[in-house]
Amino acid sequence: MNPDSSSMAPRIAHARDFDEWRERARRLLMAGVPPPNVTWRDGDDSHDDLFSSPPASVKPPSSREPSSTSIRIGREQLALLRNAARYRSGKGEQARWPLLYRVLWRWVQGDAAATHPADADGRVLHQRWHAVKREAHHMHAFLRFHRRDDALGERYVAWFEPAHDVLDLGAEHFADRMGGSPWLIATPEGGVHWNGSTLDYRFPCPAAWTTEARTAAERANADEDHALWRTYFVSTFNPARLNHKVMTQHMPQRFWRHLSEGDLIPSMEAKARHGGQRLAQESSVGQRKGKALPPGRLASHRPPPASDD
Amino acid sequence: MELIDKLSILADAAKYDASCASSGAPKRSSRGKAGLGSSDGMGICHSFTPDGRCVSLLKVLLTNFCLFDCQYCVNRRSSNVPRARFTPEEVVRLTLSFYRRNTISGLFLSSGIIRSSDYTMEQMIQVARSLRETHQFRGYIHLKAIPEADPKLLEEAGRYADRLSANIELPTLTSLKTLAPEKELGTIHSAMGHMRQRIDAANDDARQDARHPVRSNNPKRQAPRYAPGGQSTQMIVGADATDDRTILQSAQHLYRDFRLKRVYYSAFSPIPERPAGLPQAAPPLLREHRLYQADFLIRSYGFQAEELLNAPGNLDLEIDPKLAWALAHRNDFPVDLNRAEPAMIARVPGIGLRSVQRLIDLRRLRRIRYQDLVALRCRLDTMRPFVITQDYRPADANLDSTRLRQSLTAPQPAQMALW
Ligand code: SF4
Repeated sequence: MNPDSSSMAPRIAHARDFDEWRERARRLLMAGVPPPNVTWRDGDDSHDDLFSSPPASVKPPSSREPSSTSIRIGREQLALLRNAARYRSGKGEQARWPLLYRVLWRWVQGDAAATHPADADGRVLHQRWHAVKREAHHMHAFLRFHRRDDALGERYVAWFEPAHDVLDLGAEHFADRMGGSPWLIATPEGGVHWNGSTLDYRFPCPAAWTTEARTAAERANADEDHALWRTYFVSTFNPARLNHKVMTQHMPQRFWRHLSEGDLIPSMEAKARHGGQRLAQESSVGQRKGKALPPGRLASHRPPPASDD
Repeated sequence: MELIDKLSILADAAKYDASCASSGAPKRSSRGKAGLGSSDGMGICHSFTPDGRCVSLLKVLLTNFCLFDCQYCVNRRSSNVPRARFTPEEVVRLTLSFYRRNTISGLFLSSGIIRSSDYTMEQMIQVARSLRETHQFRGYIHLKAIPEADPKLLEEAGRYADRLSANIELPTLTSLKTLAPEKELGTIHSAMGHMRQRIDAANDDARQDARHPVRSNNPKRQAPRYAPGGQSTQMIVGADATDDRTILQSAQHLYRDFRLKRVYYSAFSPIPERPAGLPQAAPPLLREHRLYQADFLIRSYGFQAEELLNAPGNLDLEIDPKLAWALAHRNDFPVDLNRAEPAMIARVPGIGLRSVQRLIDLRRLRRIRYQDLVALRCRLDTMRPFVITQDYRPADANLDSTRLRQSLTAPQPAQMALW
């Protein structure tokens, strides 16, 4: 197929992930195919190479060497595209691949504003990257590991439901954090296992992993330190500062279900509203027997600070 | 006493310290190493309690027995509260357990003063040493520095801790004297000065190391770290009559003289066994919020405390301090976003630092239009009277500040017309 004569023909291009998209986009750009002529689909293209077969002059995807025909794009722009691609579009939102291709097309045409946050497309990309960063951060923050110790040895198991494609961002973080401790994270899409030295990703998540993670999350009591954490959560709360709005802004309610302390929140709030709000002290602490101490002397090699000079 | 009971008492006793930050630590990873924990400079809030506060660290006291009698403090010796004491091993166990379950990113350990200041400091150091050396813990550690303790101990504490803090609590000599008779402002300042010197020296060494990397992997050959996350402090708001101007001037002085990373403001919450003279009112949360806003303007926007409050008194509760400043300086506005210095754009109410950078980037590409401000999600209704763009000039630029203030504080209709 001659790339020049076919640039105006409609194309269908498939991409499962960013790297595949990048490769397809590179070929389409080199063939000069404008964005309106491409229909992007999520997924595998093994069935219809007929429509998307690459021009013969282009190297296969495995080739990494830069060629004179390679498309140049800044490192920052590439990071923006790659991370915005992790965003899962909701109803009525633009799909990821056509948006990315349009921006790339504009960029290659010399329109540098295409990736600026004040641009109509750039703005969407930045908002998506922001949402993705936020979701990765949510995963770092709100994922809960449950300890298991049985015939398979000691390990930490978590179930998490990310709103965007951030599983790998979470996994890298927890590999740094947990060191030699093996762990498993299962999600509705994929799963990842860390054996103390390597990450093993599976898409879709194996049923056995899902079962193990969901059971651990549902029977949190099986972990002996569960009660300690819940006690801490209740005690560190200051009822005199009750502020539901700020809490839910930072910790959206969709995460509560899988937090080891999530189910405590409504009763803590109710208690604070019904009288507990007068003092900063947690009421159960107030019910314990108190103890005032006699004036004592500070043992010190230096004279204690004079209080009456 | 069971561990769980101690935890409930000693976490309750520690909640008056507002700080729970785990940011500012150097990059550390346990991948492929013995031990546990990482840090990357960014803090993580693992949960939020219903007061809207971040739970990032296990924040506990080693003990709430205390020889001091600071009137604002729930743990003062004359207060009839339940008392408990952790062993250092118990704190280590809790920290590691919570950390593995991903509920915290580290430990913030403080303590009432028992036996002597040195003894108390040593006990806290023992926890940090065990975490770092015995368990190779690479998560965040924040230790309370007891100002009266031997400088040698502060020296040691800084080698294990990411952050040290000595709390000022009350910024004036007189309030300290009436409310915290055993504490001395001079001692606190000299401890801060000492920590600043050590932090500066360690930073210098770290820069040297970066320029001439030591070949050996032996950590002893590398510059010793000292509280790489810096030091912070806290001031109580509303326990006595100290005004916001005094508080902010004091904060400004602490930032300048001791290069503190953060000053925290803690609205005084009513405590059980309240001594006479201390308020029983609900904590002044809005006042605390305005102080944080003003503090941010001082740290990051180049404002002076005296600009924000040019006479003794408190910040305006009704409007934020940046808007208040702009209303008091109408002659400096409107600001032409296509010409003004970045520092002046940063003074426009409704434009944050990130938007400043984006506007500067954008005006290298083309002229700034009003629609750009919409796209950048600036706070339009606040900002509108104060800016000029290529296609926009405020119609109400001549409006007097009192009327402008009224229009900005009046309840807004849900949907505002664009102009
Ligand atoms: S030294 Fe003062 S502020 Fe600290 S615990 Fe004792 S009484 Fe409270």
